[in-house]
Amino acid sequence: MSMAIFSSTPPTQLPTLSPPHIKKTQLFYKPYFSLRSTKKHQYLVPIFASADEGSGVASVTVEDEKASENPVSAGDNLGSNGSPPLAAEAPEPATAEVVESANKFQDPRWVGGTWDLKQFAKDGKTDWDAVIDAEVKRRKWMEDNPQSSSNEDPIAFDTAIIPWWAWIKRFHLPEAELINGRAAMIGFFMAYLVDSLTGVGLVDQMGNFFCKTLLFVAVVGVLLIRKNEDIETIKKLLEETTFYDKQWQATWQEETSSKSEKN
Amino acid sequence: MASIALKSFIGLRQTTSENKSIVLSKPTTQTHRNFRINASKSSPRVTGRNLRVAVVGGGPAGGAAAETLAKGGVETFLFERKLDNCKPCGGAIPLCMVGEFDLPLDIIDRRVTKMKMISPSNVAVDIGRTLKPHEYIGMVRREVLDAYLRDRATTAGATVINGLFLKMDLPKSTGSPYVLHYSDYNTKTGGAGEKKTVEVDAVIGADGANSRVAKNINAGEYEYAIAFQERIKISDDKMKYYEDLAEMYVGDDVSPDFYGWVFPKCDHVAVGTGTVTHKGDIKKLQIATRLRARDKIEGGTIIRVEAHPIPEHPRPRRVLDRVALVGDAAGYVTKCSGEGIYFAAKSGRMCAEAIVEGSENGKRMVDESDLRKYLEKWDKTYWPTYKVLDVLQKVFYRSNPAREAFVEMCADEYVQKMTFDSYLYKKVVPGNPLDDLKLAVNTIGSLVRANALRKEMEKLSV
Repeated sequence: MSMAIFSSTPPTQLPTLSPPHIKKTQLFYKPYFSLRSTKKHQYLVPIFASADEGSGVASVTVEDEKASENPVSAGDNLGSNGSPPLAAEAPEPATAEVVESANKFQDPRWVGGTWDLKQFAKDGKTDWDAVIDAEVKRRKWMEDNPQSSSNEDPIAFDTAIIPWWAWIKRFHLPEAELINGRAAMIGFFMAYLVDSLTGVGLVDQMGNFFCKTLLFVAVVGVLLIRKNEDIETIKKLLEETTFYDKQWQATWQEETSSKSEKN
Repeated sequence: MASIALKSFIGLRQTTSENKSIVLSKPTTQTHRNFRINASKSSPRVTGRNLRVAVVGGGPAGGAAAETLAKGGVETFLFERKLDNCKPCGGAIPLCMVGEFDLPLDIIDRRVTKMKMISPSNVAVDIGRTLKPHEYIGMVRREVLDAYLRDRATTAGATVINGLFLKMDLPKSTGSPYVLHYSDYNTKTGGAGEKKTVEVDAVIGADGANSRVAKNINAGEYEYAIAFQERIKISDDKMKYYEDLAEMYVGDDVSPDFYGWVFPKCDHVAVGTGTVTHKGDIKKLQIATRLRARDKIEGGTIIRVEAHPIPEHPRPRRVLDRVALVGDAAGYVTKCSGEGIYFAAKSGRMCAEAIVEGSENGKRMVDESDLRKYLEKWDKTYWPTYKVLDVLQKVFYRSNPAREAFVEMCADEYVQKMTFDSYLYKKVVPGNPLDDLKLAVNTIGSLVRANALRKEMEKLSV
């Protein structure tokens, strides 16, 4: 419905961006038990959501001037921060985030636009996995509910504060285990196959250039092709790297082909 | 970095000349042209008059081309259909343009010295700390800039014709003139304009993204982005925040392959977004952009809504016989930033210089080889810039994790310095190799972290 407002472009038309306008297009305040169930939130859905076309909820709108009332009524409806609601989409325990004020991501550990690492302490050290989990949830929430960027509460979290070994332990090691497992299986099978076909044992295979090439191809294949779709992706990537160059070259192609016609 | 990029470009040219099996989307009517390569020195002298050149389109490209031609002694006709046209445009010009084109400082409405990059999760990074006090990005009004350049062309001796270019008859034989058909609005015959023709020896097509000159020479099509923007008048105290600051919003909600922006103009802000692949969703993207900037533009009034196409890459054919395309008509808009004004003006000037040189100040006839010299010079000078921006767009506008990494990288001072240096002076400067290496490592780190977080996010949504 908001499309209709902006469809015509004569300069004489002056739609306003004053609060009533904004409320129609930007935020809806609604009691959260009437939230749309199409979005699959695993945690408490904030009562404010951005009004993109997918929402389709005609609900009670609140003038921005009455913003001061929101925390009060929000308090009535939601109870205190962290209590799971009736309409939670999936049972996710106490790390649920409740949005009380207009448009922010709220979490007790999110302080001043970044994660307060002291609250992630476990046994005297920071629990980096929990930091990663918290940031993942925040990004997911932000993606599902785009918020206005505000100058008063700037967000200044940099993922680089999480040390490199925490990333390796969590993301690289499981994948490495998988890849190495695949490589080992393929290696064993191929070694056995080549041995049975040619009688060349494992040590002699390693000395042969052709076998070494096969080994290289197998390793590269295991590293690059992790899913079936990766083959197509790699082909497309290769084409992409030279596509722009080709577009620029197009005007020169004519010249050279015409020159050769002349010759 | 620049030298490597240059080498590969030239290398590509050499291989393509040997290896004609590369198939490109050539213009469909590939007639067998009588292609005679005449060195211009042996071109016949133009007797009794100077060389006549028509510049179709009176924007930055046309104005710059007409001025250079007129100064070089060529008889120039500059066609512009709407002399007071308020072209929808971002309006940003780099610092080097002010110097190179001797622009008076009062043309510049605002000097932007700070930029804010805002990631999909609203991480905001300020860039501009590394700018020296005399460096800025100039924000101009197109109607002011275009009029100024046209007036300068008139002062240099060009004839500005207020008319609409309709079509052009290609010459039947080498040396015959081009006949341009146009609708002259000067005579004011009831608004429709009087149909007139003019004969010229060469044509510069500077008529923008929907160039008719390009159609006439079957230059081929290009992909283009739609840039949609709303001009919003906001209160003075909110305007103070945007006094010298421009914002860039990245995210899938704002644009799947470009960015949303808030640029300050003379007394209002322009809030907009653009896309190549999702043109149908542009209104939705615009709403999302306004949402992200909501706090800062709240209470504002929309005073104008506008949209315009932005070419994504050059047309397959940029020169044919004695017709050359410049500016948006040729498709000289960079990727990643979508910058076009400077490149339009510069290409107009470069093409005009090639014509002036090839015709020895208007005394001889030009031919295609002279115009190709302009193409060669252009490609050689600016190819590194275009390629680097293309790579940046491919890497950092790909997905939300890539955009998060992009904003993270922007916080780095070295990145800011390199970015601004190359933007303001239009030279891809290879920096300190050690810093470059550190930058590469940090970039890969950022990308890996952001993508790892993304994988976890996907697990959450399952």
